[in-house]
Amino acid sequence: MNEDILYIEQFLNGEEKGFEMLVRKYQDRVLNIVYSLIGMDRESEDIAQEAFLKVYNNLDSFNRRCQFSTWLYRIVVNTAYDFLRRRKHIVSDNGILENSAAPYAGPKNALLAKERDALVQKALGNVPVIYRTAVVLKDIEGLSYIEISQVLRCSIGTVESRIYRARQFLKEELLKLGGLEA
Amino acid sequence: MNECARIKRLLSVYVDKEANNADTALVEAHLDKCPDCQKELSQLSRIKGSISKKERKALPPDYLIFRLRDELVSRQYARDRLSLARMGDFSRRLIPVPVAAIVLMTMLIFMSVRQTAGTDSLEDNILNGASVTGEAVLGLVLGTQG
Repeated sequence: MNEDILYIEQFLNGEEKGFEMLVRKYQDRVLNIVYSLIGMDRESEDIAQEAFLKVYNNLDSFNRRCQFSTWLYRIVVNTAYDFLRRRKHIVSDNGILENSAAPYAGPKNALLAKERDALVQKALGNVPVIYRTAVVLKDIEGLSYIEISQVLRCSIGTVESRIYRARQFLKEELLKLGGLEA
Repeated sequence: MNECARIKRLLSVYVDKEANNADTALVEAHLDKCPDCQKELSQLSRIKGSISKKERKALPPDYLIFRLRDELVSRQYARDRLSLARMGDFSRRLIPVPVAAIVLMTMLIFMSVRQTAGTDSLEDNILNGASVTGEAVLGLVLGTQG
């Protein structure tokens, strides 16, 4: 029995600790996926929280033959999509500019890395969300194509195509923003 | 589709190390002779690297757990208040029922007492040998005597 199933069993037997272990294990991964999809700090935390609340309320209906992480990421992606639909905008450029314009007293390399991250996040924000999700699950979370196809409930061919398109968009955006040499 | 276009589509899968053996061999054979596709591969690798090396955000270990606990408690509180409010509405809708029942019961008791009082008085009259009309006796029998 894998660790996640053990925590789920614990929770379903009335021990809240089981759920808390799942949150501790996955909270940063969930937060990074959400942040890469929507590009807003505080809202990312709210969406992560909302996703875990959905998990809390629906854990009894989780099919234990599936991977918990796949189920969790599907909930996370759908919760982020709901947010984007409600807010009717993609990544907030203002938020990114605020972040990148913040005074930073660290070493030069760290500053460069921060600027590079801000550029990448801005470029990601201009990739259509359906392609962005696939590339985020691949390059941020490191999922395989099979796992991504399970999270997004589509074929592996579709995953390949979405990642390819996402990278074409990213290439154009980064060339425009000066984050990639021609 | 010319060969470069076909290879460029495969490069994204190749850079993810998800290409099968045949496609990997095809891509590598093509890359050996095509500087344009080599440049494309180099750009794709840098794009992939810049996303995967992006700084990861990290929350304090129990931060989200505390937030979730607060949220669960406040949602439970809201649910309890809602169900109490609903129960209140229901009760308010039901108020006329017990009121009507109490009014009806009071009326019945009152009528019964009056009837009993009237009967006693007629019986007293009969016992005292006072004159009693036939209508009063009939009223006593039918229970309409006040």
